[in-house]
Amino acid sequence: MQPLIQVEYLVKRYSSRGVLGSGEVVSALNEVSFSVAPGKTLALVGASGSGKSTLALCLACLERSTSGRIWFEGRDIAALDEKQLRAVRPQIQLVFQDPASSLNPRFTALEIVTEPLLVQRKWGTREMHERALALLERIGLSRGMASRRTGEFSGGQRQRLAIARALSLAPKLLILDEALSSLDCSVQAQIANLLLELQSSFVLTYLFITHDLAMAAHLGDEIAVMNRGRIVEQGVPEKVLGAPSHEATRGLVAATPGSIVTPRMPGGL
Amino acid sequence: MRFLSRRLIHAVLVLFGVSILTFLFTSLAPGDYFDEMRLNPQIAPETVVALRAQYQLDRPLPVRYARWLNSVVHGDLGYSFSYNSPVGPLLWVRARNTLFLTVTATLLSWGLALPLGVWSAERLGGLPDSLISWMMAGLMAVPDLALALGLLLFAARSGWFPTGGLASLGFESLSPINELRDLTLHMFLPVAVLVLTALPLLVRHVRAAMAGVLHAPFLRAAQGHGIPRRRLLYRYALPAAANPLISLFGFSIGALLSGSLLVEVVMSWPGIGPLLVEAILSRDLYVVVGGVLLSTLFLVVGNFVADVFLYWADPRIRAGPVAK
Amino acid sequence: MIERRKLAKWLVVLVALHGLIACAGFFAPYDPVEQDRQLPYARPMKLHLIDTQGRVHMRPFFYPLRMREGSFDQYDEDIARAMSLKLFAEGPRYRLLGLLPCRLHLFGAAGARICLLGTDGYGRDQLSRILYGGQVSLLAGLLGAGITLSLGLGIGAAAGYFGGWRDEVLMRLTEPFLALPWLYMLLGLRAFLPLAVSPLEAFFLIVMVIGAVGWARPARLVRGVVLSAKERDFVRAARGFGAPHRYLLWRHVLPETSSVLLTQAAILIPQYVLAEMTLSFLGLGVPEPLASWGNLLANLQQYSVLTSYWWMYLPALAIVPFFLGYLGLASALQEWADPFKVGRGT
Repeated sequence: MQPLIQVEYLVKRYSSRGVLGSGEVVSALNEVSFSVAPGKTLALVGASGSGKSTLALCLACLERSTSGRIWFEGRDIAALDEKQLRAVRPQIQLVFQDPASSLNPRFTALEIVTEPLLVQRKWGTREMHERALALLERIGLSRGMASRRTGEFSGGQRQRLAIARALSLAPKLLILDEALSSLDCSVQAQIANLLLELQSSFVLTYLFITHDLAMAAHLGDEIAVMNRGRIVEQGVPEKVLGAPSHEATRGLVAATPGSIVTPRMPGGL
Repeated sequence: MRFLSRRLIHAVLVLFGVSILTFLFTSLAPGDYFDEMRLNPQIAPETVVALRAQYQLDRPLPVRYARWLNSVVHGDLGYSFSYNSPVGPLLWVRARNTLFLTVTATLLSWGLALPLGVWSAERLGGLPDSLISWMMAGLMAVPDLALALGLLLFAARSGWFPTGGLASLGFESLSPINELRDLTLHMFLPVAVLVLTALPLLVRHVRAAMAGVLHAPFLRAAQGHGIPRRRLLYRYALPAAANPLISLFGFSIGALLSGSLLVEVVMSWPGIGPLLVEAILSRDLYVVVGGVLLSTLFLVVGNFVADVFLYWADPRIRAGPVAK
Repeated sequence: MIERRKLAKWLVVLVALHGLIACAGFFAPYDPVEQDRQLPYARPMKLHLIDTQGRVHMRPFFYPLRMREGSFDQYDEDIARAMSLKLFAEGPRYRLLGLLPCRLHLFGAAGARICLLGTDGYGRDQLSRILYGGQVSLLAGLLGAGITLSLGLGIGAAAGYFGGWRDEVLMRLTEPFLALPWLYMLLGLRAFLPLAVSPLEAFFLIVMVIGAVGWARPARLVRGVVLSAKERDFVRAARGFGAPHRYLLWRHVLPETSSVLLTQAAILIPQYVLAEMTLSFLGLGVPEPLASWGNLLANLQQYSVLTSYWWMYLPALAIVPFFLGYLGLASALQEWADPFKVGRGT
């Protein structure tokens, strides 16, 4: 099957500029390659500072990669300029870790969800509102809540709102950057289930970034382990977590108490 | 020392920046000192042209700037048309008087602000604290112009203080003690205005800085060791709260210089202020540039002194550059 | 909610004070430039309720002043002519708020001039001049602050949002502006602008000078806010839907600067009113016959005026309630924008 997204030798370097321009160079991503098939979930795990979030930003074209290619539906989006990207951006959406900072506190729930539609200017006002309200209901917020400001919602509701916003442009790839990490355990489970539901009904492809191995095993069709800007191990959860071959993976597994690998239930629930 | 030398280079650059900026403004100026002469039928137009050429006013701006820089190196700072002499010596006399006023006011206002702020912070929310807060809020609401004129009015009606100038007539014939008395009387009002307008801000910052430190664990510990209260406040707490206050010191000099300009004009103190206003009204260009630059120099020196204090007071800066 | 109530309180105070000045025509009994050569430097007239015969009047009344024989500034009350003070009296024409033609004044008197705060050397009513002068001074402060804040917002936002060399250049440019003592800078800038101009031109000239001088501090503050705002996740998210820079700035970044701008406005406006007063006092601002709080005080530079006519000092006190109001507003705004920071430490 043709992958939806295929990353080849992606490199991202930051140079911390000194007084005379001679700074040290930090490699955040070092020749990262992987691919994800449509409708599947790749769970990306790694310790903090391993380059997961940089990868998310590069894939969402919010940071420019230094070199390498990002093939998305047959086009190298790493080579597109800002104008050409405008047409691609709706296809790839990012959900951030902390909904408190990813949702503008001055906006109402409805404004949050209509914002992408407004920016892309493809719909009339009425249609926009209808789409947004339908989406709010789909992710579990009532119509009555549409006029509340984001500060009035709980953490879980806010993350639902962030997901609704990401879905409003009907993307193909959703990058979830530690999207469950700031939530309580029970809320995490609810949102995880919501994600599985949405995946099957909208045929979404997920890149699920986390440091939580249990959640990665629960949601991921495959797991990739990142360490110091490289992907050091990749495969099905049972294999990667059950018989880790790389030291970094072993470290991660050892740091997580209890049994991790639970087979993913068919049908989403 | 690297910190201080960097600050010094920075100060020199700022001075250059200000001099270029003021010179740029001069080129925007419509008309100059000789414009009024041109209207005077008794002066031939050729004379005006010749005069302008003599003072190089007909040359392009960069040339004028270069010539002026050259004269700065020689201590002349350009030429005053209305005094018909180099600006430098003219300014130095006035600068001395301005400095006299501002330095006295700076020392006095800090000398008052520190104990008042510390006292206030020590009894946070208590009677002395709220009393001081109310007084400072009241003072803050009276702008320096109103205060200066008010005190002058008071002096004129009460006759207790001289209403202007630096010294009485016949100052030279007075005995040293009476000379000092005369000078103090003359300085009292201008200094009072400057101190009273500077005080509220200083007290508020001292109080805030001290209040932040007084609850720190290291002070609680020191208190537990039985160190006397006064020593605790002034030897332990104050140095710990000093950092923001030292930056404020540099700022307070700028405010006092501005205040001093106005007070000098109101109370006819022979400082830079009256000279500058007079020069503006007669379009005596180089005096204006010199006056503005001199005030910047004072401020830059003041800030440098603050940096030296900071260097001396904060072991972290002495230790060398700190990664952010 | 305490912060909100405090803010509302100061806003009401300031609106009332500004309303008083904005409707100067109604509260002032006379035209500010109307001269009375019979009444130079008349002292403030007293209102009485009891006349010389000991009778009590229901209406406050006053005795008109008559110049003493052989003097030029000494007056006696003309006790033969008791004039009652009329509330809501008809008086000279004016335009309310500059628009509505009107003749109604808060008070007035028929047959003689009532000058509650005295007159100046041309016999012009001091109270009317203070009220009308306030219009000039306050407007200068408001417009000047508007110019400064727009400059600061534009420059600060450009530096913070686009970063790189633009940021570097603009922030270097702020340094000399922050380094100079502001009054020297004000005078330095004023020095190179024409002196002999009409009052109206002079007004706009000094508004521009005052407005241009202070841009550096708000620019730095705005830059700081923009710098942190553009790194927020909601800005990233909006970029992720393909939002252009203009949209990001307008919808997400600039609204973040509003509390900084409001606080700066509350700090700058009174300072700029004072700046106008100072310039006009020094003879570099708004010239006669237009009244401003500054040029009303310029007379006091003559020693004889200072010693003999204390009421000429009154315009200096007019600014005090405004200062108080704006100081209160500024601190209320700071607490409102950041209730925790101020509430604790101090």
